[in-house]
Amino acid sequence: MMRKYKYKLLIYFILLIGVIITSTPMIYLISTSLRPNGSLYEYPPKLIPNKVTLENYRYIIFKVDFYRSFLNSFIVALCSTLLAAFISSSLAFCLARFDFPGKRLLFATIMATMIIPGMTLIIPQFELAVTFKLINKLGGLIPVYVAWVLPFSTFMIKGFIEGIPTDFDEAIYIDGGNAFTVYRTIILPLASPSIAAVSIFNFLMAWEEYPWALTVINDLEKRTLPITISGFFGQHNFTQWGYVFAMSVISLLPVIITFLFFQQYFVSGLSSGAIK
Amino acid sequence: MSHDYQILPRRKKKQIKKINFQLIFLLIPGLIVFGLFTIYPIVKLFVMSFFDWQIGFEQKSIFVGLKNYINVFNDPIFRKAISNTLIYALVTVPSQIIIGLLVAVLIHSIKRFKITFRVLYYLPVITSWVIVALVFKYIFNNEGFLNYVITDLLHLTTNYIPWLDQPSTGMFVAQLLGIWKGIGWNMVIFLAALQGVPLELYEAASIDGGGKFKQFFYITLPSIKNTILFAVVMLSIGAFNVFTSIQLMTGGHPAHQTEVALTWMYYKAFEARDFGYAAALSYIIAMIITMITLSQFKYFRKFK
Repeated sequence: MMRKYKYKLLIYFILLIGVIITSTPMIYLISTSLRPNGSLYEYPPKLIPNKVTLENYRYIIFKVDFYRSFLNSFIVALCSTLLAAFISSSLAFCLARFDFPGKRLLFATIMATMIIPGMTLIIPQFELAVTFKLINKLGGLIPVYVAWVLPFSTFMIKGFIEGIPTDFDEAIYIDGGNAFTVYRTIILPLASPSIAAVSIFNFLMAWEEYPWALTVINDLEKRTLPITISGFFGQHNFTQWGYVFAMSVISLLPVIITFLFFQQYFVSGLSSGAIK
Repeated sequence: MSHDYQILPRRKKKQIKKINFQLIFLLIPGLIVFGLFTIYPIVKLFVMSFFDWQIGFEQKSIFVGLKNYINVFNDPIFRKAISNTLIYALVTVPSQIIIGLLVAVLIHSIKRFKITFRVLYYLPVITSWVIVALVFKYIFNNEGFLNYVITDLLHLTTNYIPWLDQPSTGMFVAQLLGIWKGIGWNMVIFLAALQGVPLELYEAASIDGGGKFKQFFYITLPSIKNTILFAVVMLSIGAFNVFTSIQLMTGGHPAHQTEVALTWMYYKAFEARDFGYAAALSYIIAMIITMITLSQFKYFRKFK
């Protein structure tokens, strides 16, 4: 009995050590953001600052138009997520429930595009953005984000819809409903767990996306959070770590809050693909 | 959730023989986005790779045949970038799986604080690449935290290690970041897989008198084989997607020795403005990862 108890204690101890190692960079991030900006390279560096101040936060909120980047990121992420949710669920509905010419080819192509890195298509996508005059516009980010998340979202939602019995659909058709009615009254509500799960990932992806935003957005007032944070770093280089990390912490807050509330969805969204 | 429904008989799919207006209406948004922003770029990229491509109005692009591909293959930095990417994959994929699986097994075996540990280990996964890259840059700076620890605190060396200023250590930091950020993802999928292993298997084994380690190698590992294969495929694809961490931590420096496939492509496209070269390179990158993924599937099918 005693041995078993010691064994359990050892497991907790190892897990705790692991957590300390994995969270050190995050603790360092937060503590640097709370330190007076002058003492950033104070020697010796400390994980826990002697003096805690909100000076960096005050600066980025009142002196830099940081809220604008926050708002831009929010608009882009929300629009991309909603569009992706509707487009991929209707596409998934068609693939799961109907037979039409070219269906297998379409599905195979969607699956194949999941292998290649989205960034390899950045040059023709950039040219498209130039052609449609989407450079330096938030609207230039959204279609590419939707296109990037579409294959995986469609794949996940299609799998879920296939688990919903067609009896419900039949009942609607017998009552004189059409495909839209089925989509609206059966598929959307019943497939909502899978739509919610992929939407969380899609939102996160748009919220933190870096290379495409870096390519398309230049103007200060159009920048999304990742561009503002990394751009601020580039401009002021080594002296302004406190500001950079204060911005980082603020941009992380919504993500962490969402995660804590919906962590079940994070898990289910990930694992349903993994176990099959 | 879905297995409640499985007792119900499956009906045949609704056959659409005529061109159906509703179906077209439901398909069209997806087809437009997928066609215009994914399929068209794939085709266009292929065309671009045979031209000295120029972007912008009233710009002339000149057909150059295979010149871009020849340039790519003759480029020592291309070879460096690809080998950096492959080494990155070879280092980070097994490390993430082993550590992730270990953490998952440990969390699976405890009763209290399960969710707390799961949340804490998952936090790096949801933190954006930009932020973690900047944090690692700060930690591995010449005057950063780590150099302080190894010189003045532990007295391992007397001189600072310029982590991000030399190729080997620069790639090492990037790999470390990749592993650190990926453990949580692996932990979650392995936890889900472990929950699916039938308990009877373990009971039978404990009657037969197998130890914990034996159980792990003879029951747990074979039972979660599919999840391991899934992780290998996904993480290999992930290794080819590395961009932000290198771009922000080393920028490919010194002398492009820490470039990975995508950072080198991005540099050639948007710094050097050699779109033709970058298009050919993009195609080669896509081909390499597709071939790796397909051969993994083929190998695993045999393995099953």
